[in-house]
Amino acid sequence: MSESKKPGLLLIGVGQILTSMIVSGFLLGYLLDLYFGTQPIFILILGGLGFIGGFLKVYRLLTDPELQ
Amino acid sequence: MTWHLDTIFFSIALGVLMLVVGGRVARNATDGVPGGFQNFVESILEFVQTQVKDSFPGHNPLIAPLALTIFVWVWLMNFMDLIPIDLLPLIGSWLGLPYLKVVPTTDINTPLAMALVVFGLTLFYNIKVKGLGGYLKMFLFHPFGKFAMPANIVMTTIEEIAKPLSLGLRLFGNMFAGELVFLLIALLGGAAALGAGLLIWFPLQVVLDLAWLLFHILVITLQAFIFMVLTIVYLGMAHTTEH
Repeated sequence: MSESKKPGLLLIGVGQILTSMIVSGFLLGYLLDLYFGTQPIFILILGGLGFIGGFLKVYRLLTDPELQ
Repeated sequence: MTWHLDTIFFSIALGVLMLVVGGRVARNATDGVPGGFQNFVESILEFVQTQVKDSFPGHNPLIAPLALTIFVWVWLMNFMDLIPIDLLPLIGSWLGLPYLKVVPTTDINTPLAMALVVFGLTLFYNIKVKGLGGYLKMFLFHPFGKFAMPANIVMTTIEEIAKPLSLGLRLFGNMFAGELVFLLIALLGGAAALGAGLLIWFPLQVVLDLAWLLFHILVITLQAFIFMVLTIVYLGMAHTTEH
């Protein structure tokens, strides 16, 4: 029973991680832009990094043999 | 700075309720045939224990009680949503309170505060398990290896910020939206304040309210459950040396 439950729990967490990493990337970029006055630069870079990082994290989590 | 006294009051009151009821059950617990309520509490406990065993690597005696507290407390706070939406504010207005927010989790401060506590715990265990150097090394070398250090720092920072955000904002968003739907449904019948003819919508309100109430029981349980699971997962991540 415990074996079959694990992936489901992981999937719940994974969806949250992906979205929140994108959001926090944009948030951090927005704050940096506000601080340095370089309007669209950091929000674009950090948003993109958050997007990539989110996918990477999800991929790592789902293919992690420890968690399978 | 404003103090959200209603939020503080209801969350603390529900916490005290949880402690008192839990303490009473623990005192009256028998190891023979358990009564109905003890059975119920034990089933919750066992459920949380299985989740912790399943998704938490290693051993830490703090995790299971923390998960149980979060699950029950968040569920109780969410449950305030199922009390008729204007009943407690009405009673409050009789007592001279012009404004009363009954559901603590629909106030962004509560979910974010809980998320920050969990975040603080992940920081603490990250540093305790990996050491301060190990934790900083994770910041420097984590996703792309040592040749992309600036990107690594930014990426890991984003990842760390994402944790409390995903915990707090999700709970807040779900509960706030749920309460808003309750309010809108209540306005169907409430429109009768403009004229008795609008009472024609009252049956619709009853049906919709019942349907959303039944659905909302699922939502509040799921949200409390997800908060608990994510707490366990994040603390579990803090306890592994990889990642």
